[in-house]
Amino acid sequence: MKNKTFQFDFKDLNLTVSQIENILGFNEDDDREFVTDLIEELLKESEDISKIKAQYSIFNDVKFYNENKSVEINNVVFNIKKIVFNQIKKSDSVAIFLCTAGEEIGLRSRKAMQERDMLRGYIYDVIGSEAVEATADFMQDDLEKAAKSIDLKITNRYSPGYCDWNVAEQHKLFTLFSDNFCGIRLTDSALMNPEKSVSGIIGIGENVRFNPYTCGMCDMKDCIYREKRK
Amino acid sequence: MSDILEKLAKSVEFGKINKASPYPPNMKDQDGADELAKRALEEGVSPDEILENALVPAMAKVGDKFTRKEIYVPQMLMAAKAMNSALAHLKPFFQSGETKRKGKFIIGTVSGDLHDIGKNLVAMMIEGGGWEVIDLGVDVSAEKFLKALEEHPDAVVGLSALLTTTMENMKNIVTVIRGKQSGAKILVGGAPVTMDYCKKIGADFYSPDPQGAVNYLKQLTS
Repeated sequence: MKNKTFQFDFKDLNLTVSQIENILGFNEDDDREFVTDLIEELLKESEDISKIKAQYSIFNDVKFYNENKSVEINNVVFNIKKIVFNQIKKSDSVAIFLCTAGEEIGLRSRKAMQERDMLRGYIYDVIGSEAVEATADFMQDDLEKAAKSIDLKITNRYSPGYCDWNVAEQHKLFTLFSDNFCGIRLTDSALMNPEKSVSGIIGIGENVRFNPYTCGMCDMKDCIYREKRK
Repeated sequence: MSDILEKLAKSVEFGKINKASPYPPNMKDQDGADELAKRALEEGVSPDEILENALVPAMAKVGDKFTRKEIYVPQMLMAAKAMNSALAHLKPFFQSGETKRKGKFIIGTVSGDLHDIGKNLVAMMIEGGGWEVIDLGVDVSAEKFLKALEEHPDAVVGLSALLTTTMENMKNIVTVIRGKQSGAKILVGGAPVTMDYCKKIGADFYSPDPQGAVNYLKQLTS
């Protein structure tokens, strides 16, 4: 098994105002001047945030079971359901990953909400979500390069809670990592703390492929990321 | 509607908080909800009229536009901020009992779940609908909901959950509430929740958007 860890400062993530505006729902033609200034301010404020972390572990002991659309990794069986199964079933190995933007952004969001500055709190929350996704992108790019160097490809990343994969399976995922991995704790209800964290799986192999458009596969029609991040 | 209430309603609908607020650009340097509410009271408009004829209809328009996807969360939050600046002037009248709210609404994110943005949006819109909101926060147990309901026996209860795992805790909370207060009205909402699930666990109402909840509460009082 191969592990790799990453640590970033907020600045390294290169989040942009237009990226946040896009996630907030705005299109090119919308009047959004009132949020542009606030997003700029909050991105600037966030620059003091560090210890944004990611890690992946590669497992070669992988078996796929077509009859119940599950995968067994190091003797732990995951019921990943049809959508994820079909995307990773041709993998020779898998990477399990965890990424976190840390606690600070969530704390700032909640503080603003408590002070009844809902817009500031909401934008901080979106910045936190984008920060952890950007962290996962860096981690995934690194994995892709490593795979490519030995003529392998990778799939998209898939997380419990999406594409019908039950979020409770996150408990099983965490058994594959050492305790307090990246400082992330898991509650009984499978909620990660810090909340701006993601976990999941990426398939690796000669016969897998990266799908540039995945929203069509998912049934979360109200997801704020739907068709926004292409 | 009087001119000042019309202006106040427009200020709330378009998120004009006060004169200093630069948003929206076409209302720059004009009085906002803060100044207009204060002036309306000074001119003898009753707090009830301000609430019923300006703030509540303005927030209903905001909620409807959000439901129709004509505006996004940030515009709704700006409108809420404007509404709050006006509501601050009405607070003494609520406290003295001179102005009555339409009812009380107890809201919380269910045990095991720490997500609060959806819950806060609903709370804000319901407050804008003229209700007193008792926000219990996140990770709220059945016992805590029950205690709040005992303190406010006529209140309507709203349960929020964002995860399929925590959505299951709604069932337990509804059962506990029904066991003690069988007639309590319970609303449920959150990303994984559906009308089918609402019926299955014995809750009274589900809405996919905040304004649906406001409209349901309106029906209860009409």
